[in-house]
Amino acid sequence: MSELPPTSSLKRWLLTTNHKDVGILYLFTATFFLLFGGVLALLLRIELWDPATAIIGGGGTGYNETVTAHGLIMVFWFLSPFAFGFANYLVPLQIGADDLAFPRLNALSYWLYAFSGVLFGISFFQGGTMTGGWTLYAPLNMPAYTPTIGSTGAVLAIAMFVAAVTASTVNFLVTIHHSRAEGMGLMDMPMFTWSILATVWMMLFAFATYLAALLILSSDRILGSTYFSATDGGALLWGHLFWFFGHPEVYIVLFPALGVMLEIFQTFSGNRLVGRKWVTIALVLIAIQSFLVWMHHMFLTTINLEIKTLMMATTIGISLPFDLLVFAMIYTLAKGRIRYKTPFLFAFGSLLLFILGGITGVFLGAIILDYQFRGTYWVVAHFHYVMFGGATALIGGAYYWFPKITGKMYDELLGKIHFAAFFIGFNVVYFSMFTAWETPRRVFEYQQSMVTSHQIGTVGAFVLGLSFFIMFYNFAKSYVAGPTAPDNPWEFARTAEWALSSPPPLENWDGRPSYASGHLEFLEREDTHGGHAAATDGGHATGNEASDYVLGDKHASHASIWPFAAGLSTLALLLGLSGIAGSLAIDPGSSIAGVGVALEGSVIYPLFTVVGIVALLYSGVKWGLEDFYAPPAAVANRWPFDRIEKTKLGMWFFLASDVLVFGAFISAAVFIRVNAGWRSWEALPASLPGLINTFVLLTSSFTVVLALVASRRRSRKGLMASIGATILLGLTFLSIKAWEWHHEIYDVGITLSQNPHGPPVQATIYYVTTGLHGLHVIIGLIVATFLLVRAYQGYYLDDHRPVEYFGLYWHFVDIVWVFLFPLFYLF
Amino acid sequence: MIDLLVLQQQASGSWRTQSEVFSEIFLVFLAIGTVVGVVVIAYTLYNGYRYRDTGEEPDGFEAPQLGELPTGQDGKSKKLFLSFGLSAIIVISVVVYSYTLLLYVESGPSSEVETEGNMDVQVTGFQFGWQFEYPNGQTELNTLRVPAGENQVIRLQITSRDVMHNFGVTELRIKSDAIPGETSEEWFLADEPGSYTIECFELCGIGHSQMSGEIIVMEPDEFNEWYDGTYEGASSQTAAVETEAES
Repeated sequence: MSELPPTSSLKRWLLTTNHKDVGILYLFTATFFLLFGGVLALLLRIELWDPATAIIGGGGTGYNETVTAHGLIMVFWFLSPFAFGFANYLVPLQIGADDLAFPRLNALSYWLYAFSGVLFGISFFQGGTMTGGWTLYAPLNMPAYTPTIGSTGAVLAIAMFVAAVTASTVNFLVTIHHSRAEGMGLMDMPMFTWSILATVWMMLFAFATYLAALLILSSDRILGSTYFSATDGGALLWGHLFWFFGHPEVYIVLFPALGVMLEIFQTFSGNRLVGRKWVTIALVLIAIQSFLVWMHHMFLTTINLEIKTLMMATTIGISLPFDLLVFAMIYTLAKGRIRYKTPFLFAFGSLLLFILGGITGVFLGAIILDYQFRGTYWVVAHFHYVMFGGATALIGGAYYWFPKITGKMYDELLGKIHFAAFFIGFNVVYFSMFTAWETPRRVFEYQQSMVTSHQIGTVGAFVLGLSFFIMFYNFAKSYVAGPTAPDNPWEFARTAEWALSSPPPLENWDGRPSYASGHLEFLEREDTHGGHAAATDGGHATGNEASDYVLGDKHASHASIWPFAAGLSTLALLLGLSGIAGSLAIDPGSSIAGVGVALEGSVIYPLFTVVGIVALLYSGVKWGLEDFYAPPAAVANRWPFDRIEKTKLGMWFFLASDVLVFGAFISAAVFIRVNAGWRSWEALPASLPGLINTFVLLTSSFTVVLALVASRRRSRKGLMASIGATILLGLTFLSIKAWEWHHEIYDVGITLSQNPHGPPVQATIYYVTTGLHGLHVIIGLIVATFLLVRAYQGYYLDDHRPVEYFGLYWHFVDIVWVFLFPLFYLF
Repeated sequence: MIDLLVLQQQASGSWRTQSEVFSEIFLVFLAIGTVVGVVVIAYTLYNGYRYRDTGEEPDGFEAPQLGELPTGQDGKSKKLFLSFGLSAIIVISVVVYSYTLLLYVESGPSSEVETEGNMDVQVTGFQFGWQFEYPNGQTELNTLRVPAGENQVIRLQITSRDVMHNFGVTELRIKSDAIPGETSEEWFLADEPGSYTIECFELCGIGHSQMSGEIIVMEPDEFNEWYDGTYEGASSQTAAVETEAES
């Protein structure tokens, strides 16, 4: 199924895996969420008009839902997806690639994102959505305080979104590191692509941590574990986990906009970027430093003065590269020929807003001032100026790339009117927040002296919101009846997308783009037959594994239904999980034989869960069996990942992210235990079963290596035997674990929330962490079974890659156990 | 450094309230921030205006070519580093200055200057109000009464018994998270009689907006009368030492 229907058919959009189509899907869907989040914002502003009158219903519940949903939708479902709509469309064009490295995975990212938004929308109707603020502080995020099914649904929706972006992260990392045109080293990439590269590196580590926090929260909400129940350090644990993610997240949201700003400043001034090398270094430095400042969101908690001071220093440290970026952009304008078209108006306006926002950020970094700004509108005004102000550049990007994407030119006068209305409305609403800064956040009743400021702000908010419709009208009108746009409507544009037609053809390039001569050229594509390309990259010998799998006589695929199916299945599964805790009454009985499961509430939730799991497994199998061909480039600049095959690189990036997930779980365990006093706990489970299991897993690592050897030696029997042995050992591990847990629950009395040998949280941490590991084992066994069946059918004797990459995953799972065993069983 | 501050404070005869400290720092930051903001924005706007396209090429203008391998511009690096260096110096200085006052605010007035009426109060936030427990064991809801006095230090131990709250009094410039399972400390000088509004600054549920209270700084005599009244009338605690001996 690799023929694409035309763009006018719905089927096309459900099947497509082409990066340009996926980019358009992201742009449209993100715009929907902009409207959704924007309407919620206007509701808030109406509520703030008069502190004595309540407009939104539900006492304070409606308001809290609105404020929570506004934050979640804008940060997660609008800003980054909108930016990644552009990233999807343009990064392959800017680096000379044919598509993203893994096109089906890319489509899957989109459908997981879109359906996660649906799941979030459904949560409003499940008793009301989450009311704990987008920051979901503990223990307010626990069912005791936010009991609705919709609250759990919202948490699961965010987790589904994180899965989507993790897939995207791996995809972009591999693409940018593996598919660059010949002659384009890392330092030669356009600034927009650079900003996306820095963004996805941050995403890899930040979202992994957040996923861990969400998994723990979901476990607390659905299974009844007790991590975030406060008295054992739960409130602070959430603070650390969330903000370790949360701070890089704000740069993840900002960086693509900075990248757009850097492109537009160059194009519309006609100058090359001043201090380009330093700007690149600044982006990298900020990305790294973003992981070192998180406690500046926690200055008013009970962390000690020394660590607070350190975080203040690192926070000031991170403001310095931003200074450099701002000045680089200003100096790029000097001695230029600036044309004030709409894209530049928005990028220029964005810089001004970002400067104002950034200065107010320095205020917040001074601990003693932060003590007063905490929880007030100063913070709200600051982050809207930097985040929304920064994102203003994305609107500029929309105008900039509109002609390229649609092939039509927008109306310039309407664009300028939009900018005027936008800029005025923006400053009225957000500056008014500074004048009323002492108002507490997330309130709808406030002191009388602030009323005028808030009312002015509400007027500004409506001007700001309505200004978007000028753009929608402009784009719609121009798409239908506007003038045709040339390949390059912007004098002084330099990057490769402007060398293509508007819009570009499906497979992007006629020849092979190459910068080897110092500028963009299109060379003859190398002819390869039989499977091994004459892969050269600056004179390396042939047999470069990275290009060994180019099958030159096969055509690239562009369509698959399985991403859509997998996304829909995940929606069903998580929808089921959101309400399953209240739908089933589980009576543990006195042994496993006596467990009773009764249907208590609606049958819908358990039904959706089961249907979701089955459908997801089915989609996964069909995906694995599908004949989808995404060829790597025969010739590319891959430094520093030369000679590493595309899918292997993807597996390594994925494992790096999984390392962080487990790292966060282990850090959580250590934090809780240190909080209780390290020595006050003894090892909880008996160590012998754990020790045996360690030997079992280590042996299975050996058998999986044997599988790779058998595959390379083309031994079908050897391959089946070793995969089979691995599966048996994995099942042994799970059986021993099942026996062990049975013993602990029924004989000793240690459950998720009860512990006769210490605090309940100790038992919770043990079960949830080793349970997550067990889940990884189960998933591994499912994949291994698939491999076993395929090995029986004679596969993997020519192409050993799936066996090798499964082996990498399996080794990872085993190594994690080597860390968990001492942590829980020995000390 | 803290000793210098202590000497400075003692020399002037009275401790500085958090409100005074905040006003000073805020004003300094505001002044410097405004100046920097105005200068940078003005310079940006100036460049934007001066180098607008008039059809003529400025000196040294070299049009970039479509498809070129990106290079930067080296000519203006010196200006870039100068500006960067200057802004770094400003930012670092201003934060170091704030740090010196942070040490004072963190620990509060040293206990060498004791007055009658210095006291510790346990503050417990809950959904949706504030509970205050006095040294004599008396608990009150939503209203905290303290005696006024020069150098009168009231220390608060703040926690929560359910979710996270934040105890803040804008007019006194005090604020602290109220975290269940943790106790944080805050202090203020009750030097001026009056009534000050308490608000909650961390979203805590349906009643977050309504979670306000009052700190009433009373004349010492009135306070003592009220305080003694609580001890005799309502408290069922075992005999507590009189207020004077608490200090």
